[in-house]
Amino acid sequence: MSEWREADLSRVKPYADRLDDGVMQLSFTLPVPYGKAARRAAMQLASKMGLEHPEVVHFQALTDGYTYFVMFGECVHTVDFTALSEDGFEVEYMTEAQIEAYARERVGRPIVVVGAATGTDTHSVGIDAMLNLKGFHGHHGLEGYKAFRTYNLGSQVPNSVLVARAIDLGADAILVSQTVTQQNLHIANLTELVEIVEAEGQRKNVILTCGGPRVSDELAKELGYDAGFSKGTYPHHVASFIVRELAARIEQNGERSRERDGRAEDVSRVPGANG
Amino acid sequence: MASAPGARLAELIAGVRRLALVGLAKNTGKTETLATILAEHAAAGISVGVTSIGRDGEERDVIDARIAKPRVYLSEGSLVASAGELVSASGLAHERLEQTGVRTPLGEVVIVRLGEPGAIEVAGPSAAGDVLAVSEAMLALGAEQVLIDGAIDRRAASSPAVADALVVATGAVLARELDEVVAATAQAIDVIRLPLFEPARDRSDGSVVAVGRELVLRGEPAQVAALLRTHPQASTLRIEGALGEGFLEGLLAARRERAGRELEIVVADPTRAFLSRRGPRWYAKAGISLAVLDTIDLKAITVNPRRADVARLRFSRAARADLRGGRRRRAGD
Repeated sequence: MSEWREADLSRVKPYADRLDDGVMQLSFTLPVPYGKAARRAAMQLASKMGLEHPEVVHFQALTDGYTYFVMFGECVHTVDFTALSEDGFEVEYMTEAQIEAYARERVGRPIVVVGAATGTDTHSVGIDAMLNLKGFHGHHGLEGYKAFRTYNLGSQVPNSVLVARAIDLGADAILVSQTVTQQNLHIANLTELVEIVEAEGQRKNVILTCGGPRVSDELAKELGYDAGFSKGTYPHHVASFIVRELAARIEQNGERSRERDGRAEDVSRVPGANG
Repeated sequence: MASAPGARLAELIAGVRRLALVGLAKNTGKTETLATILAEHAAAGISVGVTSIGRDGEERDVIDARIAKPRVYLSEGSLVASAGELVSASGLAHERLEQTGVRTPLGEVVIVRLGEPGAIEVAGPSAAGDVLAVSEAMLALGAEQVLIDGAIDRRAASSPAVADALVVATGAVLARELDEVVAATAQAIDVIRLPLFEPARDRSDGSVVAVGRELVLRGEPAQVAALLRTHPQASTLRIEGALGEGFLEGLLAARRERAGRELEIVVADPTRAFLSRRGPRWYAKAGISLAVLDTIDLKAITVNPRRADVARLRFSRAARADLRGGRRRRAGD
């Protein structure tokens, strides 16, 4: 009879049959023809990955020149789970009904959200899924909420034009989508938007959020956004963040004055952290 | 690379209260520069406050995980503005002095005083207005100098409304060839050192025209041409917010309306000019000069000669001269 013992959270490694055996399963495809050489290639790859006692438990030809593998191997590394926190801006996601009620109570006016895929990005699928009534996976977009007034500017929108529209519409939040990430084009494009909003003296007046397959909280922070959304995001996640953040800002600074006469506010007069 | 003999960097920035560090791109060595300044200040016993508009001292680069980042080591007594959870995660003894109310994607920013030396991840406010507020708070709490580290290529916190002086980090990551790195750096420095606007004594002749935000941001050629037509006397265009290349293109296209007129475009400060394709020198040759109402003191340029895929760059004497040359110095320098 094996002795029961608890996992040491300061040295966590994968579990399969018994605690700390380190066994993990991986599956992948190599662009090589099915055969013994293919199997050896997979074994070598697993060894290079640092897995001990690798074994190919299944492999099959996918199509001509491609072989699919399932492997086991023992991971020798551990991580210190006790040193990790769920840090980040914890947003408890609300349901659509909760969002509507929260917005009614804490904001009490339509929340203006302007979205676009900016720069050279032609992909509007992300922004459409978040904003348009149709939404995706049965979750309809912000357009379908009473709380929001949405403007989807589509794709390939220059940052300066997006900012001009957002200011003109009195946007509470700007939602930008960046799908193309070749050569980190999205990075320069995402920072430029933040910088233009700052240059217009509008940074404290607008919630900036970005979304895309490679966006994370950490990246959003680096880029200067208030939040970043990645794969697995539903419209109500974005909506939860926007209503909470807007309510918090109104509580902190009062309802902002909406200036639309084209005069920029000087950065030195923007209310500070405790203002 | 930290703490080269001679401690030149600390001398160059001595006496500055709020110092902004700006990179011309990611991985130009901002954090390395910060680490050097911190080491020199620690040796000299200068008390600092540190904040970052992005994230500093993290172990791995957020975009390219192959890149290990320099850690940020602070001495005991240093003030830090960072997300509360990151301060806790450092494991360093600290005293929490202020809850700023500034929310970031990594948590709310707090101001702490370290009770022991060590490495810490710094992620302060991102918005320029908030950066100013926490910088002022750290000065009030006793910091002799506040270091505001940048992120990627963001410049907003180097506005003279936020910082008193600036150190720019450039490097091999900007381009494949040395000439291109120098050219891109010189162009960015030209923007930072745009001359101060010198208003003519008599401004009642219609020579100065304020241009609306919508017109500048959209930069529609027809509207830009119409602006010049309605203001035939205009020689100075005053822009409140961001000046983008679209508007400048519009001016270039309006040849007939300009009719040989030399134009001067005036923006609030260098962070409002967005020139990525062509620099101020190019526009000056085309008859459009740029000026600012307020400027920031550029104290030093640091160079990271390495990038992941390219051998070390060497800066020739000519390249150095190109970085220095051809610009009017700020009055009083």
